[in-house]
Amino acid sequence: MIFKQLSYLLKAAGNNLWNFRGRNFISVLIISFSFLVIGIFLALSNNLTYLGEQLSNNLAISFFLDKNLKSEDLDFIKSQILASSLVDQVTYASSDEALERFAANFPELKDILDNLQSNPFPPSYEVRLKEKAINLAAISSFMENIKQLKGVIDVQFNQEWVEKMDSLSRIVQAIGFFLGGILILASFFIISNIIRLNVFARKNEIEILRLVGATNTFIRIPFLIEGFTLGLLGSLISIFILFLLIKIFPLYVGSSLGAAKELFVLRNLTAEQLGWLITGGAVTGTLGSVTSVSRFLRV
Amino acid sequence: MIELYHIWKQYQKPHWAISDVSIEINSGDFCFITGPSGSGKTTLLKIIFREILPTEGQILIDGVNILKTPDHKIYRLRRTMGIVFQDFRLLFHQTVFDNVAIPLQIIGLPYKEIRRRVFNALRQVNLHHKMWEFPQRLSYGEQQRVAIARAIVNQPKILLADEPTGNLDPELAFEIMSIFKEINKRGATVIIGSHDRELIRHFGDKIFFLQKGKIIGKEAKQ
Repeated sequence: MIFKQLSYLLKAAGNNLWNFRGRNFISVLIISFSFLVIGIFLALSNNLTYLGEQLSNNLAISFFLDKNLKSEDLDFIKSQILASSLVDQVTYASSDEALERFAANFPELKDILDNLQSNPFPPSYEVRLKEKAINLAAISSFMENIKQLKGVIDVQFNQEWVEKMDSLSRIVQAIGFFLGGILILASFFIISNIIRLNVFARKNEIEILRLVGATNTFIRIPFLIEGFTLGLLGSLISIFILFLLIKIFPLYVGSSLGAAKELFVLRNLTAEQLGWLITGGAVTGTLGSVTSVSRFLRV
Repeated sequence: MIELYHIWKQYQKPHWAISDVSIEINSGDFCFITGPSGSGKTTLLKIIFREILPTEGQILIDGVNILKTPDHKIYRLRRTMGIVFQDFRLLFHQTVFDNVAIPLQIIGLPYKEIRRRVFNALRQVNLHHKMWEFPQRLSYGEQQRVAIARAIVNQPKILLADEPTGNLDPELAFEIMSIFKEINKRGATVIIGSHDRELIRHFGDKIFFLQKGKIIGKEAKQ
């Protein structure tokens, strides 16, 4: 039944959007600002997550070994390392190789090395992790297990940085959701009040519709379409502005941040995040109008 | 058949707008409710199409107690009625066509059919040439005729009209009454609230006289 009346309902919603374009424009701006705040924080958090991933992908774990280990002990430790699903590659570096590498990396310290009576560098296994093995808990437990093996004397991994990046990303995301949440709530009430004003302005029409036999659903639908459209437009505009910011930000603001620039890069949102923003806008708009129209519909 | 039993209506204590009104209107009747201003004509009509509820009493339309009809089903009753409001209740930001088309649009008729019926209704009230005008550009009498066209466009079973000729010259008033009579001949029950004695004398088959909310007399032509 409702489908037969669709053209009338769409026309009514369109007329309403146009007739009250001033206040509708303001509500679209408010919605887009709210969703823009969430979008910016999501983009920042995406960047921090990305940096964390890069950091963990490029990091190797070094297990330092006792110099006096027999070859079967070395093989056993290697087999234990390779048994983990996190590990991509294991390389053995003997004491001599470690010394050579140090000498090559720090040629200015050659004098000190020449004066050494014995090689202080322990042999080690250098482990490269598989990409996407960012799960810090799994990496920690893997390191703990290997460290307990006989002959493993120490372990080195810049876990602290990865953890910091990970928690920073979470904090940024939480701030984004908190601020965005407050703004969405505010825009929900603003939409609700704007629709209420529209409903009030059309009170006469609603009354006539009711008295000539329109159902409440029939009266309600144009307002729902209106709320849905305002919300959807708001979130789409916020995504467009965010897209522009992602393009413009590195050119104008990013360059003045120096070393911190990497932290403040806005990284594109994922398809899933975009989907949530758009759905969020549409749902906010629709719910805003549902609450306001219902109060005016008393038969 | 419309039956009203012991209807009382109070807006504000201690005055009663309607006091113990009981009337019966048969299907196909052409009747007038008449009385001086403030006698309760409009209130009684509003009660019949359930815009307001009586304080006490019962109303049966074709055997159904409309006071017991749940709110969400009342639209079914109203779709069988055509109503001409005293204040017209037109939408001034919509054209004459859009105003008259409302009762047809809510039942989902195809546009072609809506156009045909709206044109016919407007032709009956002699306003078809102003179909695309906005109501504020029409005279008072023309606005009233738009309200009448909207009431008759869905060929209602019951037509209620509150002072439908109040702002029309006698010639046009007679014309409008003739339209109502025509609709009545097709089987619709017509109830008109009016204090125009000339019209009532000429057209009224059944007349209820109201004073201070009470029925003080009834007259039926044989």
